[in-house]
Amino acid sequence: MNAFERHGITHLSPSACNSFVASQAMFVLTRVLKKANAVGAAAHRGTAAETGIAHGLMNSGASLTACVEAAVEHFKILTSMSTDPRLEKERESIAGFVEQGLLALKPYGQPSAVQSKAEFVIDGIPFLGYIDFEWAASKIILDLKTAHVVSNSIKPAHARQVAFYVASRGAGDTGRVAYVTPKKSAVLALENVSEHVAALGKIGKTIERFLSISDDPLELASLVVPDVDSFYFNDPLIRQQAFEIWGI
Amino acid sequence: MALFKNLSSGGGNFGEIIPIIKFDARSGRLSTRNYSGGEYVNVDVTRTFKAVMDLENIETGYISFSTGGAPDFCVARATEKQPTQPSQDHKMGFRMLLKLSKDCGGDIREFASNARACLAGIEALYTAYEAAAGENHGKLPIVVLKDAVAIVSGEGARKTTNYSPVFEIVGWSARPADLVYSPKARSGAVGAAGAPPATGSTRVEAPATSSDTADGFG
Repeated sequence: MNAFERHGITHLSPSACNSFVASQAMFVLTRVLKKANAVGAAAHRGTAAETGIAHGLMNSGASLTACVEAAVEHFKILTSMSTDPRLEKERESIAGFVEQGLLALKPYGQPSAVQSKAEFVIDGIPFLGYIDFEWAASKIILDLKTAHVVSNSIKPAHARQVAFYVASRGAGDTGRVAYVTPKKSAVLALENVSEHVAALGKIGKTIERFLSISDDPLELASLVVPDVDSFYFNDPLIRQQAFEIWGI
Repeated sequence: MALFKNLSSGGGNFGEIIPIIKFDARSGRLSTRNYSGGEYVNVDVTRTFKAVMDLENIETGYISFSTGGAPDFCVARATEKQPTQPSQDHKMGFRMLLKLSKDCGGDIREFASNARACLAGIEALYTAYEAAAGENHGKLPIVVLKDAVAIVSGEGARKTTNYSPVFEIVGWSARPADLVYSPKARSGAVGAAGAPPATGSTRVEAPATSSDTADGFG
């Protein structure tokens, strides 16, 4: 039994690796201690906007209003238990995200797949993830990122994520990241796929070495400290759990 | 596309250990290296060699086979941005996976070299692969070693003879289920001098062939 299996981890994902990079305490909390993986309203807004955009891309006759409604309905479901104070602000921004997302992606035509499974083994570690949008005919893989500011270049964490998707599909596919705000968007082409996949492998191996330190989740927790000022701990539930485990 | 842009100019890995097949350019022999009975045993497969080669994912770049240590591969897929040369010890080379025919063992092997004579043979093979890959979409070539051609260099006391492999594509096969390309952690520019790899900042448009228009919300 390897270190992952000893902690009940069957696979890694780009988001798990990015979580480890950004906040090892959050990784321990959610992946090792298996505490609730609550996310803030901004993350739910992203998921909901993607639902609305996917609705518009998969149904060519769908009106913008219908796409926004689909997104808002999903947002309500996702946030039904949330106490995040930014809830209303994020809900109000959804329409803009959906409109700009559709303006950016409608020209690609109907995707061949939405939220399709991606599996790939890197350095002996199984990775699993889900691709936002795929256009098989044009061999384009695209990940949608909603934010309030458009990025001028692909963020390294996003590059690793999309590089993994591209690698899982074999040679020939190209990766893109669509950064969408309520007012504008930019679709950027991913470069250096191999290097970013290799980086993901290095992070995976680092996680493996970290997990190898102990079979006791609480001992691993004792090796890290949460930055409770980080947005990762914005959610009151997560903040409370961090306090109960680390006492800060 | 040329695999090795300049043959005159010149990464151990963390991953699983894949047994190797090696071409000895000094003798023109191809052999598998097997761990048996507590020691490594070379089995000559020059005459019988037949394999499905994963040329789709062949990696090129720079390799150091320095004595007394693990080989250091600084390579990337041939179709992607190539790494810079990490040191003078790193020579231009390639790495790929192949699946041997049943007669040769039937297992997955790693094939890598930075010997100039070997690279010339791989270059010729890749050119043939590229020429026929379009007609064999989704398939990989079945390759045999047809010959090994002597290449003489130098003069007088410095005269040396090396052998360049002559590979031949004898058929095409669907990718075997166990022939899976997996980038190694130290592939690519990792370990090379220079900056972190660019992520991409080029804005791109949708392909021209897409049917819907930008304002078509339905």
